[in-house]
Amino acid sequence: MAAYLQWRRFVFFDKELVKEPLGNDGAAPGSAPTSGPTASKFLCLPPGITVCDSGRGSLVFGDMEGQIWFLPRSLQLTGFQAYKLRVTHLYQLKQHNILASVGEDEEGINPLVKIWNLEKRDGGNPLCTRIFPAIPGTEPTVVSCLTVHENLNFMAIGFTDGSVTLNKGDITRDRHSKTQILHKGNYPVTGLAFRQTGKTTHLFVVTTENVQSYIVSGKDYPRVELDTHGCGLRCSALSDPSQDLQFIVAGNECVYLYQPDERGPCFAFEGHKLIAHWFRGYLVIVSRDQKVSPKSEFTSRLSQSSDKQILNIYDLCNKFIAYSAVFEDVVDVLAEWGSLYVLTRDGRVHALQEKDTQTKLEMLFKKNLFEMAINLAKSQHLDSDGLAQIFMQYGDHLYSKGNHDGAVQQYIRTIGKLEPSYVIRKFLDAQRIHNLTAYLQTLHRQSLANADHTTLLLNCYTKLKDSSKLEEFIKTKSESEVHFDVETAIKVLRQAGYYSHALYLAENHAHHEWYLKIQLEDIKNYQEALRYIGKLPFEQAESNMKRYGKILMHHIPEQMTQLLKGLCTNYRPSLEGRGDWEASGCRANSEEFIPIFANNPRELKAFLEHMSEVQPDSPQGIYDTLLELQLQNWAHEKDPQVKEKLHVEAISLLKSGRFCDVFDKALVLCQMHDFQDGVLYLYEQGKLYQQIMHYHMQHEQYRQVIAVCERHGEQDPSLWEQALSYFARKEEDCKEYVAAVLKHIENKNLMPPLLVVQTLAHNSTATLSVIRDYLVQKLQKQSQQIAQDELQVRRYREETTRIRQEIQELKASPKIFQKTKCSICNSALELPSVHFLCGHSFHQHCFESYSESDADCPTCLPENRKVMDMIRAQEQKRDLHDQFQHQLKCSNDSFSVIADYFGRGVFNKLTLLTDPPTSRLTASLESGLQRDLLMHSRRGT
Amino acid sequence: MTYAYLFKYIIIGDTGVGKSCLLLQFTDKRFQPVHDLTIGVEFGARMVNIDGKQIKLQIWDTAGQESFRSITRSYYRGAAGALLVYDITRRETFNHLTSWLEDARQHSSSNMVIMLIGNKSDLESRRDVKREEGEAFAREHGLIFMETSAKTACNVEEAFINTAKEIYRKIQQGLFDVHNEANGIKIGPQQCISSSVGPSTSQRNSGDVESNSGCC
Repeated sequence: MAAYLQWRRFVFFDKELVKEPLGNDGAAPGSAPTSGPTASKFLCLPPGITVCDSGRGSLVFGDMEGQIWFLPRSLQLTGFQAYKLRVTHLYQLKQHNILASVGEDEEGINPLVKIWNLEKRDGGNPLCTRIFPAIPGTEPTVVSCLTVHENLNFMAIGFTDGSVTLNKGDITRDRHSKTQILHKGNYPVTGLAFRQTGKTTHLFVVTTENVQSYIVSGKDYPRVELDTHGCGLRCSALSDPSQDLQFIVAGNECVYLYQPDERGPCFAFEGHKLIAHWFRGYLVIVSRDQKVSPKSEFTSRLSQSSDKQILNIYDLCNKFIAYSAVFEDVVDVLAEWGSLYVLTRDGRVHALQEKDTQTKLEMLFKKNLFEMAINLAKSQHLDSDGLAQIFMQYGDHLYSKGNHDGAVQQYIRTIGKLEPSYVIRKFLDAQRIHNLTAYLQTLHRQSLANADHTTLLLNCYTKLKDSSKLEEFIKTKSESEVHFDVETAIKVLRQAGYYSHALYLAENHAHHEWYLKIQLEDIKNYQEALRYIGKLPFEQAESNMKRYGKILMHHIPEQMTQLLKGLCTNYRPSLEGRGDWEASGCRANSEEFIPIFANNPRELKAFLEHMSEVQPDSPQGIYDTLLELQLQNWAHEKDPQVKEKLHVEAISLLKSGRFCDVFDKALVLCQMHDFQDGVLYLYEQGKLYQQIMHYHMQHEQYRQVIAVCERHGEQDPSLWEQALSYFARKEEDCKEYVAAVLKHIENKNLMPPLLVVQTLAHNSTATLSVIRDYLVQKLQKQSQQIAQDELQVRRYREETTRIRQEIQELKASPKIFQKTKCSICNSALELPSVHFLCGHSFHQHCFESYSESDADCPTCLPENRKVMDMIRAQEQKRDLHDQFQHQLKCSNDSFSVIADYFGRGVFNKLTLLTDPPTSRLTASLESGLQRDLLMHSRRGT
Repeated sequence: MTYAYLFKYIIIGDTGVGKSCLLLQFTDKRFQPVHDLTIGVEFGARMVNIDGKQIKLQIWDTAGQESFRSITRSYYRGAAGALLVYDITRRETFNHLTSWLEDARQHSSSNMVIMLIGNKSDLESRRDVKREEGEAFAREHGLIFMETSAKTACNVEEAFINTAKEIYRKIQQGLFDVHNEANGIKIGPQQCISSSVGPSTSQRNSGDVESNSGCC
């Protein structure tokens, strides 16, 4: 390698001799007409070509005869006489159809510059827009080189005496341009090039001995001396942007690249350079091996020589020789139509056609030069698919060589294009877990991994026992963004026994279920799990508590209870530093947590007690359960003292008022545990006096039976009846109770005597003596009542008769008004006066000022009106059947209620409807009847 | 990309010691196991930050081959720093250091900061030159010493940055004339001369800088 001081060589170009176009009529000089269509001849250019250039779709040649030839793509050569003697220099602009040329019209040193507009025609030939002599100073000098800026504002001409003239202004016209000497040196100028960067225009000037640059866009044209060795004619070129528009100077030892202000890199390409040309990112150098001094070359350029010359095409970016061939006597190298054309002295044109990228890459692959292929692909702007293809091939190559580390590096670069399973399978086959891991890691980093990849990667980590990598994988990524499916990761880690990692993931990604599952089922760290639940927001805390409560309760009852207490009262996640996170905590339904406490009555009790204390509005289940617990404890307690205490507790709980509305359950509980006081209390609460009595009856507690009757007899009179029948049925001696009951019945008049007797008759033990007092008293009362009633009846009768008489009197006999005083002013009555049948008399003026209507006596009016109102009210009330029913029910003397209603005329309408009289009669009759009844009732009350 | 200063470096040393790989590692952060011979002088650049200042490092990677010596010599001029590289697995590259150093001293400005680098430190098993020897050579010749690995990138960054720091220190001490481009130091475009440069020179040179920036 040390001895091989050159870059690698490839054949990236196809060489081909350009043939005559088919059907050529032989217009091109020097080419004979073809005899057959198949035997096409090679294209042959006219002899004596001195200069050439290309651009605008044509190759342009100048010859010794003063002709300028154009060779377009169709290869139909055309030419015109531009100079009388010869053409020495040509410059074809690439962006304008303008050609600049230098040549001679007369003998001697007398170069003339002509500018041709190729678009305009002047008698079949291109229009020459400007002619001027190229003279640097006072003496005519041989022109060595010519360049024109693409903006048509600069033209530079170099001379063999070392001077350079700059033509500034529109070069196509005489008027607007002016010429000046830019440079005066001692060495012949061999190359010129304009370089435009931004608004600055540089002119590079190279002579045989040095390189300079000028800034020509500003004033004063400042100069920078770049180097102290130069190059021969046509051995300089300007590179394209891929080489930063550097000026290339191909010296004999070395090819130097120059920036306008300094020297750049250099390439030590050996050989005596003849031509340097830049072509699409390639540097084309034609050189001759034997060393000849540059000066002698300069002078002998035009002389005919035919020696072997080497053409090298260098790729400076990727550092290889893209093509290398030997030619005989190269006149020039031209780039046009996307290819390179090499013109040789014999008039032949060789086309160098660049191969397509794919072919080039394949050539590199064959030589296993993948790195180079990658660089090449990049510099040719191959798309990412193509690059991935290279990386894959490179990877495959390295893999097949057993260089798995290198292979994976390449495969990693295919990520996003190549199907990952392809790579994964390869490394799985090779059992290269390390490499596989690296690949998968990158896959994840680029967020292209699916769940399977995550699983695989984690499995790799666990298989490698590389927990630090694993940690890194999990931790570094979780902060910014997650590149993998967390759930899968947790599953895998859990399976592999990396619980702490799984926990970390679960915690950081809020997979609470998983966290708890691992914590509880795998690690059995109940404390930690509980603490974790305590940190969760309410909903999750609640649901997780329900799910895992039992396990936790089984292992750490105290803490669990503590947390539950919190959860059910005023839950706040126990997050440090977030005190004011949510001021109003939520609370869970404590009832739902009761099942968790199965088999742990102690904690349950503590919990329930706490709940009932802290939160008076807890659900009913809480109290029910608490009661159950208390009763259980009470029932199982042997120590009487403790039992007493528990008893008090239970009672106080019962009395706390929690069982007012729903006491069935409590009742069942009390009954189950035979908790008498509770049962009785509850009966009382529920107004189940019957039950209380039955309870006592069952327990044969006679005194209590009486007590209950006394206490609740008011609300439920039937108690007494039941008590009576109860006692009556008793076979034992319980006369005193019977007597007591009877006394009550008598006092309150609760049962008809006949029923009492019937009740007692069932009993064999109850004797007449027991009931005698009762009966005697009853009978006495009855007779008293009868007497009273009779008296009343008599009184009513008398009253009725009296009223009848009065009515009769008013109807039939005359009435004498003999009142002497006015009933209003109480003074002596004088005329005019008003008299009423009721016996009242008034002064007329008194009456008028007092009375409301002429028909009524003012004195009697209030009384009468009251009566009338009462009648009306009764009439209204009689239709309120509900009220009637109610009254009938409530009353202990239903007969009197009916009588009352009868009095109000319940049945009046009915009779009137069956026998309809005239309305007036009805009204009067009715009112009359009502009056009677009213009188009657008033007396009765 | 603006910068406060541009420092020119040159990397020298025998062929095959890893000069190009060091540069590739520093500029592209990658390692190319198969690297073609450098023919001539190549070039790389990277921005670094020294004391909060953006500094552009322009690095000339030279061919180590004896036959290119004459070409590479011309690049010494105008370098502010040199990385003199040898291969710790090949003693002859260490033995040639003296001649390299002579070359460098002869063709560069006297203030050039030279860093001695023993490369390929990853190949510990094939080590042929002891670290101490390198240190001793550096001490003897007033160089900074470091062992690096272009393959693992170990110390590569440090080697370039430490050199830059040393140059920067020298600038602040006034040992470099920052306006003489032959010293390999350039003041960045649109960069006013700050207090870091001695106040006596700043007045005089500000005009130069302005005219420089005006025309480029």
